[in-house]
Amino acid sequence: MKPKLTDLLRQLFPAAVFDGQDPTLGVGSFAEWDSLGHFNFLLLVEETFGLQFSVDEITELKTLAQIRENLAARGVEA
Amino acid sequence: MSQRIQICGTSFLLPGNPAWSALGQGWEPVFAGFDEWPRLLLDPVPPVDPPAALAWVLFLEDLLPAAALAPALALKDPGQRRQALAELLAPLLLPLDARLANHPQTPVIVAYSLPAVGSAIESGRGLPAWEHARQALEELLRARVDQHPGLLLLPLDRQLARLGLDQAFDDRNLYAARCRLSQAGLRVLAGCLGQLLERQKTAAKKVLVLDCDNTLWGGVVGEVGLAGLALGQDGLGKAFQDFQRAAQDLGRTGILLAIVSKNNEEDVWEVFDQHAGMVLTRDDLVAFKVNWRDKASNLLELAADLDLGADSFVFWDDNPLEREVVKARASQVTVVDPPADVTRWPRLLRDLPLFGRFETTTEDAKKKAQYQARAQFKAEQGRVVDETGFLRSIALKPSLVPIGQGSVARAAQLCAKTNQFNLRVIRHTQADILALADEPGAVAFLGHLADRFGDHGNVALVLARPTADPEVAFLDSFMLSCRVLGRHFEAWMLARAVAQLRERGASWLIAEFIPQKRNQVAQDFLAGHGLMPWDQAPAPARERLAPLCQGLGGQIHLAELASLTIPYLEIYDETQAD
Repeated sequence: MKPKLTDLLRQLFPAAVFDGQDPTLGVGSFAEWDSLGHFNFLLLVEETFGLQFSVDEITELKTLAQIRENLAARGVEA
Repeated sequence: MSQRIQICGTSFLLPGNPAWSALGQGWEPVFAGFDEWPRLLLDPVPPVDPPAALAWVLFLEDLLPAAALAPALALKDPGQRRQALAELLAPLLLPLDARLANHPQTPVIVAYSLPAVGSAIESGRGLPAWEHARQALEELLRARVDQHPGLLLLPLDRQLARLGLDQAFDDRNLYAARCRLSQAGLRVLAGCLGQLLERQKTAAKKVLVLDCDNTLWGGVVGEVGLAGLALGQDGLGKAFQDFQRAAQDLGRTGILLAIVSKNNEEDVWEVFDQHAGMVLTRDDLVAFKVNWRDKASNLLELAADLDLGADSFVFWDDNPLEREVVKARASQVTVVDPPADVTRWPRLLRDLPLFGRFETTTEDAKKKAQYQARAQFKAEQGRVVDETGFLRSIALKPSLVPIGQGSVARAAQLCAKTNQFNLRVIRHTQADILALADEPGAVAFLGHLADRFGDHGNVALVLARPTADPEVAFLDSFMLSCRVLGRHFEAWMLARAVAQLRERGASWLIAEFIPQKRNQVAQDFLAGHGLMPWDQAPAPARERLAPLCQGLGGQIHLAELASLTIPYLEIYDETQAD
């Protein structure tokens, strides 16, 4: 079974404390999730689900909700 | 505790990316900021807490636009062109040169990549532009490897090619984050750096132990007979044959080959001697255990027979059950879990990093004969009662080999590989050894030994350096390859060291034994060869030498060189040679 986006967040940022239900959860929600951390997170999402974001998507996808919506449009549930 | 590797690059390398976990356990990457690599390499101030190694990841495209190459490439004369390219590239390596000169103690890995551009057509008649640059860059880097023992190269494109360059590079990452590699490419880079770091820390494996049925050939010889085996025919038969070739080629580089098989011995030798498809011969094997006992016990016995630690063994068996038993009961042995598809085995064995070494010395190629001779020596020794008479009869020929450019690789190899007869087990690098040997008053040499059983090569190393008191020397390293144990060569080495130390003005020697996992064999050496354990030394000597022993945590021994009596030297009486 594919992991959820929140599982990937925990994998990448094991020390971070966050609320997976928070609808605004995104870049800046905790210290490690800065722009570099976010780029690494998007690469991990890509590798996990076997897809690739465009440069534009990388700039636009800032919250977990946005990423989830993007994946849903590709038929991927996360 | 993990060791730190400092990493800098001409492109961004995505610190924190999960791909960096491929460095392996025990390594923590510490990244320089983006574009900080020149400052880091040029910094002359030694870091307070130096990293275990530094990696510089060089994408030549970042430093040299294609247009800059054009004038050099326009030159028609190959010599002039090479010269022009070297002049163009050498300044780019100045920060590296500064680093190597300022901090020779910290190993440096240069991972380099050149763009793979152009279509197949451009290579149809001549070398494309970047290939000329690659040759020139590699020439410059290889020249530096010869000068700097702490420098390692990682030609990244060759490793990325395994993944496929289109998969390894990602222009989207370049434009979004100034990182040339994809996450998968980054993982290859991290994995390769990890391999190099690991080999600096631990010695390569020495012995490949192979199963027979369904490993060296397809089928069970006891069931299908000689004619029923898959070996040599098209398809799997060829794959088994190529697997044997890969093993034989490893044998030629000094890896010892052995077999452990649950079989009737005569059945196995029938295949070896009579099957036309066999590549390996009995002579390729240094030892074997063909019987019906469990393989873990056989492997451990094999290690004892060869005087090698079982942790230098690699075991390859098609049967997962046998592998699990060995993992559980001979956990020091590294067990390969090969895929079920035998066609992948030959390449897998050839590329196995476990056996990879930075350099193959001429000693390595002689390994098999030396270990075969060792087995023969043990057999004859077992039959005689008078040890001294026996040893005098085998024509021992010891000699000294000074440490220099030609011998330092072997000295470092001994430091890296000798786990058993080794007093302190300090893993000196080539640079360390050369520096130590250059200290005034130091004594540093290799011991070479030959006898009736063969030329054993350079099998022992002594490094002794002066202390703050010019009359007192410290035995930094003393080690002996286990394949010559039983000849009291360690006594001869100590006697030579003492003679040289006295010539250099030393009158006392401090020696230390640091107990490690596998060096118990050396524990009694010092006391057994005339040195006084610390608590038995006279009080005035202890008083004088105590300040010089500060920081030593092992078992300290002392010797007044003028009165040191070393036993067993009569074995070498007639052959004293320097």
